[in-house]
Amino acid sequence: MEALLELVEQLPALLAGARSALVRDWDSLTLDRALEWARYFQHLHDRFRTRPRLREVLGRRLRRAQLSPSLGFPHLGRCPQLLGLALLENRALPPTACRCLLRSLLQPSGAEAGPEPHSLALLARRKAASRLLALPSSPPLSPADMEPQLQAEAQLLLGRLREEGQEAESAGEAAGRPRWFSAVLEQLPTPRVFEVVAAALLGQGNGAERAGGGGLAGNSLDGNRASATGEECVAGPLLSWLVGNQERFSAFCLFLPGSLLASLAGHYSQLSRPYLDLLAGCGSHLLYDPLQGRWVKSCPDKAVLSWEELRERFTCLYQGSAVLRGQTQAALKLLKAHDGDFQVCGLSVWTDLLTEVEECLRKDYLPLT
Amino acid sequence: MAEDTPVPKLNFEYWLNKAIEWGQATTLESQKDVCLHLPQLQEFLHEIYETLKHKDSVVAIQQFPLIGQLLGRLCWNPFVVGYDESQKTLMWCLCCLYSSEPQNPVELKANSWIRSLLCHLLSSSKWESNEAETSTFISTLGYTSADYYCHLVKNMVFSLVTELRGNQFNGLYIQGRVSASRVNAMSLFCLPLITLPDVTPLLETLLLYHGGASKEILSSQFLEAVNEAFLKKKISLPETAVFSLWLRHLPSLEKATLYLLDQLVSIQLNSLEEVACVIKDSLLPQAASHPAIFRIVNEIFKNALLETDGTPEVMTIIQVFTQLFLQAHQNENKQHKFPLKAYFPYHHQPLVTALLKRPFELPATHWSAHLKHISDILKALVEDTNVSSLADLFEIWFLVVRFGEWPDIAAEQLLKAAGEPDALLWLLAFYYCPQNENQQRTQTMVEAKAVYNHLMMLFNCTVLSVKALEAAVHSITDTEQCCNQHLLTHLLTNFLLFSSGGHTIAQEFIYHITETTDSSKEVCSLLTRTAYRINHNGEENERTVKLLNELLEKLTLKV
Repeated sequence: MEALLELVEQLPALLAGARSALVRDWDSLTLDRALEWARYFQHLHDRFRTRPRLREVLGRRLRRAQLSPSLGFPHLGRCPQLLGLALLENRALPPTACRCLLRSLLQPSGAEAGPEPHSLALLARRKAASRLLALPSSPPLSPADMEPQLQAEAQLLLGRLREEGQEAESAGEAAGRPRWFSAVLEQLPTPRVFEVVAAALLGQGNGAERAGGGGLAGNSLDGNRASATGEECVAGPLLSWLVGNQERFSAFCLFLPGSLLASLAGHYSQLSRPYLDLLAGCGSHLLYDPLQGRWVKSCPDKAVLSWEELRERFTCLYQGSAVLRGQTQAALKLLKAHDGDFQVCGLSVWTDLLTEVEECLRKDYLPLT
Repeated sequence: MAEDTPVPKLNFEYWLNKAIEWGQATTLESQKDVCLHLPQLQEFLHEIYETLKHKDSVVAIQQFPLIGQLLGRLCWNPFVVGYDESQKTLMWCLCCLYSSEPQNPVELKANSWIRSLLCHLLSSSKWESNEAETSTFISTLGYTSADYYCHLVKNMVFSLVTELRGNQFNGLYIQGRVSASRVNAMSLFCLPLITLPDVTPLLETLLLYHGGASKEILSSQFLEAVNEAFLKKKISLPETAVFSLWLRHLPSLEKATLYLLDQLVSIQLNSLEEVACVIKDSLLPQAASHPAIFRIVNEIFKNALLETDGTPEVMTIIQVFTQLFLQAHQNENKQHKFPLKAYFPYHHQPLVTALLKRPFELPATHWSAHLKHISDILKALVEDTNVSSLADLFEIWFLVVRFGEWPDIAAEQLLKAAGEPDALLWLLAFYYCPQNENQQRTQTMVEAKAVYNHLMMLFNCTVLSVKALEAAVHSITDTEQCCNQHLLTHLLTNFLLFSSGGHTIAQEFIYHITETTDSSKEVCSLLTRTAYRINHNGEENERTVKLLNELLEKLTLKV
């Protein structure tokens, strides 16, 4: 067993090496050996994935072998692809070794090549399919309808978080924020990362409802478990990352559309409070201009919402679930009360907001009665 | 062999020109053209690979100097890469061209170019500028492009399916907000992807999509390709989607029916159970519950019958098909089922009603009476009223052929049940010889009656000699009319199966008949039908069943 664990420790080194200039010295024998290792790791994964204790031991050993642990037990299962593709991209690989790599990755050969060539052909086919199916899309019909690329990134993020959660569970540890979490999110440029996180949270929240929208990435055994622990270990890190940093949270809320945020706030109570607080903060920066007869920004600062935007946001919140609507209404009423409880417009931004939002919604309902 | 067969230079130039013309397939013209040529291109690529795989990369490039251009261009055409197995062959070819010991800068450059091309095909790597951020994100998570594209394609399919199915808004489905040209484009873009399992939900939705336009909005190339893939069992679609395909695209239905006939005629029909299985799998009997489909399938069967001069195999296939159709119709739970009579609108309704009754719906003792009833109606139709044309006569005859169980049972009942044989004989005479301008049918009837009488005399003899039957045999071999031959062979075979003394001489006699009259296929067909009927309908004594199976075994070996 110890020998096995020592072997498993080699995985990060193997992958790192495959991506580095070290491959310059590889010949076809070394390459074959590397590929064999990869297959062996996959074999280990398949053997042990139904045995939680062994999984946990292997996983822990793997994490120990890394400075900033980002690889876990499930990566053993993906090893052949990780290694193969990394080597393919590595320009430092000499021609003889490369030829060997191409032969074993792509060409039909004996039984050991097994699923590998097929899955790479499938990859090429799917990539072409993604080009073909990328018809210019019609306007999105609901906040849940996100662009497929965004969704795919979100699904991979979710998948990884779920894997972490399962490993933590099998180790009997509490699910916390994984150490690789911030580093991963930093890979994406700022506006994009917000969209991905939002998509991930929405996807997790809608878990059971989505029919065939996307499965679980990786080799997770238990599929779409929207259980309490599942929710906690996946949504938890995402939410704490969002809410933990005030600047980030504010940027997040200002960047995304009101409908999407309302949807998120409806699913996650940890978001609704901070969001309402943020909106309250924005509202307090508005001043009434009697000459124009409307509310304007007191300082032309981008990090503040305009009157129209603020109203739109509150309207979206009202259109959410009953709980959310109640919460929003209570918040507005409280703000109105603290601001002097005026009934006349033009004196308190909260009075005006409350009036307009409720009026707007009443008008919407009229045609239906 | 592959080394010596040169890939025709002409072909190579042709495909290279095509590849240049198509570019990355951004215009509708080029897209349609690519789709048209995908299967041949795949074959051609395969031929190239077979030629390349035994060669050294240097030699290969010498033989095909422009191969780099061809492969390169094709790799950037998503229609080609997305199709069936073309991407595999493209990648194999690229592997063959990669040199393991490059001798000069040219070869080095070629190697580098091959790597780039493969990276383009396989990874969301840093090589593609618009995917740079995604790729680092994904690899930091510990996934590969394989995982990413797996999700991406599924999401795209889901999004398109949702768009087509409309959206539920306040309880209303708003369909038809997708323009016809967009749906048409979707169908064309899906064409290379038909055999990709991820795309099946989209195929289904497209096939079931009705936009309210009167013309067909799905591309006909697409419909054809889906049909092909379905027939070759490369994809599996739900029944409703297949029926929709056939209803919207007549050539596909025709192709499916002809394909079924081909299949059945070419495989050895050992038992009707196998035939029934193949027919059921084709989904045509189930589809035929749509009267339009029923009509067309029958037309095709009719033509097949005419073209093959009424061979027993085709007649049997039609019979089994009709039985399966009736079964499927009965099992259907739809509220608005068409009554069975609606499928035979141009026929004499009492005759239809009589024929539609399945044997198992009546106790065996009533069969003779029912057959007499059928015979009487037929006779009245054919002889007394003015059956104006040959075509009308054919239609009536074809109707009876479809319910061929009854004539078969008539031949049995003649020998087994007591009672007036005339009506049953007439029915059989009509079945085998519908025309009567030159009194052929009348003649047949006369001869058949004579043989019948002769056989009935011998029916209860427990000991029979071959000689005793010789007289009957002579009349079969002597007769000039082949329809007589068929009828008499039928009677004789049944006699051997069901009479007390027949089984002792059955083997020898059947051998004799089939040798002298070259009718082994026919007898085989008859025996197969009888076996099927016994298995499903009747009780029969063990001796007969055993004999039947023995005869079948012997005959199928010969045929």
